[in-house]
Amino acid sequence: MTIVVAYADTPPGHAAVAAAVAESSRERETVIIVPAVRGDAAPDVGEVETRWPDIAGRVEVERGDLGDPSDTVVQIAQRRDARLVVLGLRSRTPVGKLVFGSTAQRILLDATCPVLAVKPTVAGP
Amino acid sequence: MTDAAFSALGSLADPSLLLMLAIGVLAGLVIGLIPGLGGTGAVAILLPVTFGMDPEPALAMLIGALAVVHTSDTVAAVLLGAPGSASASVTMLDGYSMARQGQAKRALSLAFLSSMAGGLIGAVGLTLAIPLARPLVLSFGSPELFMLTVLGVSLAAVLSRGNVVKGLTAGFLGLLLGLVGTSPTTAEERFSFGSLFLSDGLSLVAVALGVFGLAEIASRVGQRRVTEKPVALTGGWGSGIREWLTHWTHVIRGSLIGIWAGILPGVGATAGTWLAYGQAVATAKDKRKFGKGDPRGIVGPESANNSVEAGDLIPTFLFGIPGGVPSAMLLGMLLTYGIQPGPAIVTDHLDLMYLIVWAFAIASVAGAFLCFLATGSLAKLTKVPFAVLGPGLLVVMLLGAYQEGGQLGDLWVMVALGVAGFFLKATGMPRAPFLIGFVLAIPMERYYYLTASLYEGTEWMTRPGVLAFAALLVVPVLWSLVKKLRATSGAADDGHRDEHESEGVAGDELEGSLAGTPWSAAVAVVAVIVFGGALWMSGSFSEEARLMPRLVAGFGLVAALVLICQEARARLRGAGGHPVEDVHEPVGGSGATGLATRVRPSADTPALTRHHDLVIAARTFAAMAAFLVLVMVGGYLAATLVFTPAFLLYAARARPRTAIVYTLVLGLVLLSLPSLLPVDLPTGLLQ
Repeated sequence: MTIVVAYADTPPGHAAVAAAVAESSRERETVIIVPAVRGDAAPDVGEVETRWPDIAGRVEVERGDLGDPSDTVVQIAQRRDARLVVLGLRSRTPVGKLVFGSTAQRILLDATCPVLAVKPTVAGP
Repeated sequence: MTDAAFSALGSLADPSLLLMLAIGVLAGLVIGLIPGLGGTGAVAILLPVTFGMDPEPALAMLIGALAVVHTSDTVAAVLLGAPGSASASVTMLDGYSMARQGQAKRALSLAFLSSMAGGLIGAVGLTLAIPLARPLVLSFGSPELFMLTVLGVSLAAVLSRGNVVKGLTAGFLGLLLGLVGTSPTTAEERFSFGSLFLSDGLSLVAVALGVFGLAEIASRVGQRRVTEKPVALTGGWGSGIREWLTHWTHVIRGSLIGIWAGILPGVGATAGTWLAYGQAVATAKDKRKFGKGDPRGIVGPESANNSVEAGDLIPTFLFGIPGGVPSAMLLGMLLTYGIQPGPAIVTDHLDLMYLIVWAFAIASVAGAFLCFLATGSLAKLTKVPFAVLGPGLLVVMLLGAYQEGGQLGDLWVMVALGVAGFFLKATGMPRAPFLIGFVLAIPMERYYYLTASLYEGTEWMTRPGVLAFAALLVVPVLWSLVKKLRATSGAADDGHRDEHESEGVAGDELEGSLAGTPWSAAVAVVAVIVFGGALWMSGSFSEEARLMPRLVAGFGLVAALVLICQEARARLRGAGGHPVEDVHEPVGGSGATGLATRVRPSADTPALTRHHDLVIAARTFAAMAAFLVLVMVGGYLAATLVFTPAFLLYAARARPRTAIVYTLVLGLVLLSLPSLLPVDLPTGLLQ
C-alpha cells in the first residue's frame, strides 16, 4: 500500500510528512510526496531523505498532469491506490477562507480514501 | 424578432452568400490544421480578401472560418501532440494519449462532435443574447457607454493571464496608441509629429495584424519542426460517437463556460478551455484517467473552445467592446463598412446579427462533417513547417493592411508594431488588452465628452447604470489586490480553479520566455519613456484635447513605474540567490521559517534558445523591412517574386523546386486577385 502526502514547504506541510513517516513505518509503505502549492517547485527526493531519514529509499516525489493542486493530489491517490492521504492544515481566518478557497477542503471532500489531517505543533523550542 | 431571424436564414439561401460561407469554412479548417494559427490567424488571413465585398458575404466568410478553426485544430493536437492553436493544447493532454493507445478515431470523433455542439450552443447563446440585451443596450446613454469602454479595457487588463501590472501597462499603451491622430472633440492633431499620415490615426487592421500577425510569424519561423511521425488513424469512429452521447452534460457545461469566457474581454479561447478542463476534473469522481486519455478531458474543453468564439461576439456586436482578438479585428472590419457596433447595430442591422448567428451554426455543423470526411487526407497539412508558410502569410497580411487606407505607411507601422508585439509576447505582456485599448480609445473619449456636455457636473455618475458598472469595475481591482496578497504571503492554500498558470507550459514556447531578463526590464523602461514623453507632449494640447492623453499617460506612467520596481525586485532576489536552506530544520520545529523559497534553475539552455529565437526574429523583421523597401521600389508583385524565393531558400531552407512553385503560385494569385476582387496592389516607384 502507499501513502500520499500533500506537500507544502511550510510547517503544516512538514508536519504532514512527519505524520506520514510515522504512519508508514510499521508496514514500510511507500510514501509519495505530491507538491500541493501552485507554482512551487517539487521538492528533491534527496532533500526529503536527508530530512526524514526514516523513509529513505521508499519515498517518491510525483507531479500530476493537472493544474489544480487538490485535483492532482486526489488523482495521484486514486492512481496509486493509496491507503491514506496526509495533509497539513493551517489556521485560516474566515475571511481568508472565503477569499482564497481551500485546497485542503477540496482534498477532504473529493478523496476516495481516508484522509489524515494534521496540524503543526505549536511553536516551541 | 423571429421574422428577422428567418429572413436572415432566407438570405443565406443566396448562392453567393453560401459560397462565401463554404470558402470561409474550408479556409478555417485548413488554417486550424496548421500548427500555430488559430482564430486570430484565420481572421488575419481572410480579412484582406473581404475588403471590397459587401458586408454580408464578408461576414459570412469570416464567421464561417472563425466557427470552425477550433474544430480542426484538434487534429494536430491528437495525431502529432502539437496543438494546432494554443487553445487545443488542452485537448492534447487526453487526446494525444488516447491516440497513442490506438484510439485516434475515438478521440477525434469525440472532439469533432463536441466542437460542433459547442458551436451550436454558442450560436444559441448569441441568439438569446440579442433579445435579452436589446432593451438593455437601448437604454444606455453615453455615460453608460463610457463606463462600458472603461470596463472593457480594465477587465481585459486584469483578466488576461499573468501579471496585472503588465496587463494594465499593455492596456494603457494600447489606449495611447489609439489616441494618435486627430482629436474627436477639437480637431487638433495629437502625437502626429506633424505628419499628415499619422494625423489620420493608425488603421486598426495594421495594428492588429502587426501586433499579432507579424509578431506571430517572427516567433514561429524559428520553431522546431515537428519530426515525430503522426499517430496512425486507428480505432472506430462509431465508438467515439456513441460515447459522446453519454457525456452530453459535459458538452453543455463546457459550452456554457466557453460562452462566459468569451463574453469577458481578454479571456480568450485558451483560458476558456483550461477553465472547462479544470471544471471537468473537479466534478469528476474518478480522476485517475485525466491526462492519460479520459474522454471527459476532450469533450468539455473542445466544446468550450468553439463556444468561446460565439461568446466573444456578444459584447463585440452589442456593446462595441471586443471580447477577444479575432472579434476586435471583426470590429475593425465592420467599422470600415460604416457599421457602428453597439446600440446602433441592434436597431439598424438586426438582420446582419442573425446572419452571423446562422452562419456560425451552419459552419459548425459543416465543419465537423468535413472533418470526419477529410481528416485522413488533410492530416498531412499538419506537418508543414511554419517557416515555409511565413512568406505567403506575410504577403497576404501586408496586402490586407494596405487595403484599408491604400498607404504604404500603414505597412511600415505594421512592421514596427510587429517588433513591438514580438517583445510584448516574449516578455509575457498580454497583447489582448493592448489591442482592446487601441480599439476603445476613441469611443471612450467621444462618450466621455458627450457625457460631460449632456450632464451637469457629476450628475451622470449617479445614474443607476453607471453605478452598476462602477461596482463591476471595483471587482477586478479587488481581485488583483487579492492576487497580490496571495502572491506575497506565499499562501499554501489556493483553491481557485483558474488554470491560467499552466498555459505557459503547455501552450507556446516563446510566450514569456524573456520575462525576468534584461529584455523585459528594457520593455518596462521603454514604456516609462513612452508614457513620460506623451505626458510632456500633451501639455501643448488645448484644454479639451488634453484630458484623455493626460489621464492615459499619467496612469500608464504609474503602471510602468510599478512594473520597473517589480522587475528590479525580481532582479535583486534573483541575484541574491536563495538556495533551499531549511533542509536541516528539525522536524516539527519552530514555525519561523514559513517562507516559501523558490529555487530558480540556473538557465543555460533557455538562454541559448532565447538567443536563437531573438536572432531569428531579428532576421525575420529585417526580411520584412527589406520586402517593404522592395515594394516601394518595384511594386508589390515584383517584390513578392523576388522576396519569396529568397526567403524560402535562405531562411526556410526549402528545396529549390518548392520555392519556385510556391513563388509562381503566389505570383499568380496576386496577379489574378485584382480582377476577381476589388483589391489594389501597392505600386512602386518604377511602375
